[in-house]
Amino acid sequence: MRAGAEEAESSGYQRVVLKNASPHHYLKVRLVLEDESARVSAIDLKTFITSCLRSLFGEVGAALNVDVLKYDEETLTALLRVPSRGLVKLWSSLTLQGFYQNRVCAFRVLQVSPFLLALTGNSRD
Amino acid sequence: MVRVKSRYLLCEINVSDRRDLLKLDDRAVAGSVKAAVARTHGDYGAALCSIRFCVKYLNAHTGIVFLRFHKGCYKLLWSALPFITSIECRGQIIPCFLNCLHVGGTIRTCQKFLIRYNTRQLHQMLPKYKNKEEKRKIQEAILSCSLTGGGNKALEDELESEEEDDE
Repeated sequence: MRAGAEEAESSGYQRVVLKNASPHHYLKVRLVLEDESARVSAIDLKTFITSCLRSLFGEVGAALNVDVLKYDEETLTALLRVPSRGLVKLWSSLTLQGFYQNRVCAFRVLQVSPFLLALTGNSRD
Repeated sequence: MVRVKSRYLLCEINVSDRRDLLKLDDRAVAGSVKAAVARTHGDYGAALCSIRFCVKYLNAHTGIVFLRFHKGCYKLLWSALPFITSIECRGQIIPCFLNCLHVGGTIRTCQKFLIRYNTRQLHQMLPKYKNKEEKRKIQEAILSCSLTGGGNKALEDELESEEEDDE
């Protein structure tokens, strides 16, 4: 079900509704650790996300195509991309992961959107 | 009214050595299915497996097993069955693989399919016997089937005695 309702009024205003328009979803997440001085590289983060998926959803979950598009080591903030049908699996496995190498950790999901451009503006800040 | 529905998977366990088949029991099979589901689908799969999963019937002579799953999640758990490579029973590891013959909504439909399947197997195997002595033994065994509810079991005993003669 792609393009939905289209209305053309006399002023030339058109409304186009797209459902399931984007094949990927983008998440901006931050890893919060107990000790602030811990160093996590991009590769460590990718391995960590795959292990989170593996613990909750097994080999099938670990095979999900998660990409780390951008990673900031200072603030431990990352931009992830995942196929839309895997969004729920990824988000739930990040939420339920409590330990990173025996240290207490938490993933804060800051923004989620099917379009990358939408992550540039944040109405919360 | 609302009824709890299950799906029964009729699977056949294939082993390389027939004597190993007799060592199996239902708890070993259930344990290996749960382990395979936990490996393939993680904690989510292990939790789905704990709802209404059990081994309803296991025939050690022919290697037929009925697995019961919940109707809502049977496809996911079915997809983990090809990943079973061995069953551990009483400390011994028996290499095997499962293949699914039939999916039914009730045990009765699975049993009806099993009877038809066994008769077909019998028809395929009988022409191979050239020996008069063995043919006579098989005929006697078939004729001695009791009509009162022993049909399925008797046919399976058939298959067992045939296959043992075959070795």
